[in-house]
Amino acid sequence: MDNFLALLEGFSVAMQPMYLLYALGGVLVGTAVGVLPGIGPAMTVALLMPITYSLDPTAAIIVFAGIYYGGMYGGSTTSILLNTPGESASIVTALEGNKMAKAGRGAAALATAAIGSFIAGTVATVLLSFVAPFVAEFAVQIGPTEYVALMIVAFLTVGALLGASVLRGLASLALGLFIALIGVDALTAQQRYTFGNPFLADGIDVVLVAVALFAVGEALYVASRLRHGPVKVIPVAGRWTSWMRKEDWKRSWKPWLRGTFIGFPVGTIPAGGADVATFLSYASERKLAKGERKKQFGKGAIEGVAGPESANNAAAAGVLVPLLTLGIPTTATAAMMLVAFQRYNIQPGPLLFEVEGALVWALIASLYVGNLMLLVLNLPLVGIWVKILQIPRPYLYSGILVFAAMGAFSVNFTPVDVFVLLVVGVLGFFMRRYGYPIAPMVVGLILGPIFEDQLRRSLAISQGDPVALVSTPIAATIYVILIVIFVLSFWLKKRQQAMESEVVEEAPLAVADRKEG
Amino acid sequence: MSSSINGAPGGSGTAAPARPLGEMIFAGMIVCIGVVGFVAGAGIPIPPSAGVVGPRVFPFLVSGIMVAIGIGLLIQLLRGHTGAAEEGEDIDPSVKTDWLTVGKLVGFLAIHIALIVPLGWPVAAAVLFFGSAWSLGAKPWWRNAIIAVVLALILQFVFAGLLGVSLPPGFLLEGVEIFNG
Repeated sequence: MDNFLALLEGFSVAMQPMYLLYALGGVLVGTAVGVLPGIGPAMTVALLMPITYSLDPTAAIIVFAGIYYGGMYGGSTTSILLNTPGESASIVTALEGNKMAKAGRGAAALATAAIGSFIAGTVATVLLSFVAPFVAEFAVQIGPTEYVALMIVAFLTVGALLGASVLRGLASLALGLFIALIGVDALTAQQRYTFGNPFLADGIDVVLVAVALFAVGEALYVASRLRHGPVKVIPVAGRWTSWMRKEDWKRSWKPWLRGTFIGFPVGTIPAGGADVATFLSYASERKLAKGERKKQFGKGAIEGVAGPESANNAAAAGVLVPLLTLGIPTTATAAMMLVAFQRYNIQPGPLLFEVEGALVWALIASLYVGNLMLLVLNLPLVGIWVKILQIPRPYLYSGILVFAAMGAFSVNFTPVDVFVLLVVGVLGFFMRRYGYPIAPMVVGLILGPIFEDQLRRSLAISQGDPVALVSTPIAATIYVILIVIFVLSFWLKKRQQAMESEVVEEAPLAVADRKEG
Repeated sequence: MSSSINGAPGGSGTAAPARPLGEMIFAGMIVCIGVVGFVAGAGIPIPPSAGVVGPRVFPFLVSGIMVAIGIGLLIQLLRGHTGAAEEGEDIDPSVKTDWLTVGKLVGFLAIHIALIVPLGWPVAAAVLFFGSAWSLGAKPWWRNAIIAVVLALILQFVFAGLLGVSLPPGFLLEGVEIFNG
């Protein structure tokens, strides 16, 4: 009941006209940038962080919450309307929406994605409101040993599961941990890896590295293999009010709910984030479909858009549970949100609900508000998003570079930071080129110092005996769960690859069949 | 490094056969960072106040992981398991790496860095945008120039003038009130 009152108080903050405006700005920017190909929500948060320093903490957190949800909505518009194969990680889900759009049903695909995202986002935010305080109460009781265990889980799942190659993911993680070491050791005040350079003694700013990896690395990589010529966007016909037919509603509502209840729990456990959730939802929809509808999978089945899009948004809310209650990010976007909190001296973790209760509840309330705004904005404004999609690519990537340079310069107002941006950006280019995922590096960079601190504390308690790290009951349980997550994930990955190749192979054949018949 | 990659045999239309050399250098670099981490880590002074676990332990741990993973990657590469380059909506998987464009972009970023202090942020930003748009193939040049100047002025106005981010306006705009925080 207390939590309910706290939530109401959160609403009284979030509904203030000024904060409503900030939320609106956040969701608009989030959607606009999410629509742009190559720019995910993590990059958006990173790019905007240096320039929100003048906002008060509540306003900034509300803006970031809006960007977080808005980015998810925008991404689905891109995958449905852009006439190019999307990223392989989301290929199965992009496929159905893209196929629907090509068959002239793009409007229905957009509508079912937006409404599904709204329902999933709202239900998942309700779940978040009830689950998070409960987890926080449990988390208050755990000590450094359990923290070490939880962070190892986060490291390994993010490092090994997010990319295609386990070793490359772990290498990326280790690079992040290494860069985080540069600077002064917090416990003994000794310089580490600074090579006598006073600039390195201050450490390398997390925001700088994140902007460099996400923005500069991406721009350089796209530039190296840019798709030239006009951007082909599939046109959307008709007024948005007539997009969903009666049958579409009938076929969509169950996948929406199933997607929600698959996505939220998957989001809360560190098991590869939204990708796993969308795949699980897609697989179950495909399994549950019968007869004629089953044959549509791979050719534009509305269930294959409704379910995964809902799962995606529900997972995004689920990710906030470990982030807010334990201070552990399980995706790159969540990692950037953690940095945003830290900038305002807010430390997510067990004490967050006690120390910064008002702020957390304002954040959660603004998630409800933002979600509603997104539903209202998205459908009528789709014309604007399509315009954004069509920005000529040379201008788009030049703009990204200018924004990144501005963000880097505003960290400390010295050109040296922009130079670091360039160097790390080139590193990000080669990482993309050779298939190293970026997210583990950012997570390692952010969690590294916290991890080292907790590790040294727990070893200090046990007087250097490493066995103590696994011998408490909770820690041991966490490690067992880790093994289970790994076994499950590898099995899932195998299935996902099998299904992807199956679906992708089936699709062109199906088109050929139709032409003959 | 770039020339050796371009010069490698292959030329079947995809960049795949030429890739392992660059990848091996990258994996080797990870091993090297790990080794440097060990050597430099051994030089971290341990104050008497440090507890059981001093400031060297975690650096050694991370360095060890890097060496191990780097060697593992090298072995994988020698066995022919190369990494899958990232895909994306704007990426054309069928073209070869355009090193010239990448070089131009890096060059314009370097020029940008050099210009911020002497000429001010708006000039540096306009040069960066103009140069990048030109490198990426935007035409005609005068439209690129107009967009570059307008964008730089808008950013300077919004972020320095309105939001108070201290971007140096440079001597050209020094006297203009709205461009100063």
